[in-house]
Amino acid sequence: MAGFLERITERLNIYREPGWYKKFDHKWTMVIDLDKCNGCGACVLACYAENNISVVGKADCDKSRAFSWLRIERYVEGEYPDVKVKFIPIMCQHCSKAPCETGCPVYATYHNQDGLNVQVYNRCVGTFTCATYCPYDVRRFNWRTYKFEQPLDNQLNPDVTVREMGVMEKCTFCIQRIRGAKDKAKDEGREVQDGEIQPACVQSCPTGAMTFGDLQNPGSEVAKLAKNPRRYRLLEDLNTDPSAIYLKRVMNDGAGTHEE
Amino acid sequence: MKKFILYIIIGAVTFMMGYTINGLYSPDISPVQPIPFSHKIHAGINKIPCMYCHITAEKSRHAGVPNVKRCMGCHSIIRTDSPLIQNLTSYWEKKEPIPWVKVYNLPDHVYFPHKRHVKAGVPCQRCHGDVANMDRITRAVVPFGIPYLRVSPLKMGWCLDCHKNEAQKYIGTPVKNGTDCWTCHK
Repeated sequence: MAGFLERITERLNIYREPGWYKKFDHKWTMVIDLDKCNGCGACVLACYAENNISVVGKADCDKSRAFSWLRIERYVEGEYPDVKVKFIPIMCQHCSKAPCETGCPVYATYHNQDGLNVQVYNRCVGTFTCATYCPYDVRRFNWRTYKFEQPLDNQLNPDVTVREMGVMEKCTFCIQRIRGAKDKAKDEGREVQDGEIQPACVQSCPTGAMTFGDLQNPGSEVAKLAKNPRRYRLLEDLNTDPSAIYLKRVMNDGAGTHEE
Repeated sequence: MKKFILYIIIGAVTFMMGYTINGLYSPDISPVQPIPFSHKIHAGINKIPCMYCHITAEKSRHAGVPNVKRCMGCHSIIRTDSPLIQNLTSYWEKKEPIPWVKVYNLPDHVYFPHKRHVKAGVPCQRCHGDVANMDRITRAVVPFGIPYLRVSPLKMGWCLDCHKNEAQKYIGTPVKNGTDCWTCHK
């Protein structure tokens, strides 16, 4: 019994140490340039196709059970001729100090060695705590086991599980592609190169607004973009330290000011 | 009191018989294949290496069932008079794959790359048992003709035990990130 308690306190003390999340192997980061985003929704569609996300239908959508891991928020300002529309794609921010991880009673959501905030479906008992704690509202709950009718089940991705009822799920930064790239790199005896891993949304973005890479690697594309003066992160004042970085839009006013 | 002991003995004997019969005939332990292919003849007596037929085991996630062409590579010449080989040839002439039954079936939520394990030097026999002495592939160990234990239970604890302890025999250290959930689950 004493040994068990010691193990738990040891585990918890890792989290109390400042900067514990900087000691991981990688820090996968996504940079989204809102100046390039035109809200086409290709990323949402790609996410649905890649991750076997169920299409819930209208009835469930009306009960606010919509299921997209990646959603595009629209903000419309002004009346018709003088209208401004803004788009922000929002997916799981993979916070380094994730609020959702503190709540889970069964340790189903935790930080893995890649600095990713991951969800273990088999452990999840569906207490909903993580979704309540999440300030970005990106966690999705399986209210029922959605069926993939024939012939739709033929397009399921074999690298991703089909989740069942009562399980919380969310964006994984396409962890199956990260694992695939690592596997390939290990076979060839090298480290994972920058730009080798492309999550489905990044791959499908027609304007190239999204970039994915390792922030710990100073030469990576992401590390360069992260120094951009337009950089900001969502709800940064909550001190969640998100891994998704957004670049502000440049306004069309001649002076090139950034959107606030 | 005597009756009580008798009941326990009868119960135990019935349980053991049931357990043995279950192990012998349970379809998931030793399924009947469409062609009674004998690993004993191929891998045991004729000493064909595993990778000769299961070619993708060191290149891919799946060990791979050999295609009919690989069978016909030898059997267009060897033992063509046997009725079983003629059965095989009929598949070849119909241009149909042989509906082999999978024995080691991992659940959908497990990511298991064969190549990683083969390249680390884990022998096939570690998980699949002494295939070279099996006529029909079985997941049970068969000493004295009585199957009573499974070679690999395919349970998570069994995987992790190797990742933590036995891996030191093959690669010198425990598997890197070997106990992280998302290393093996998907």
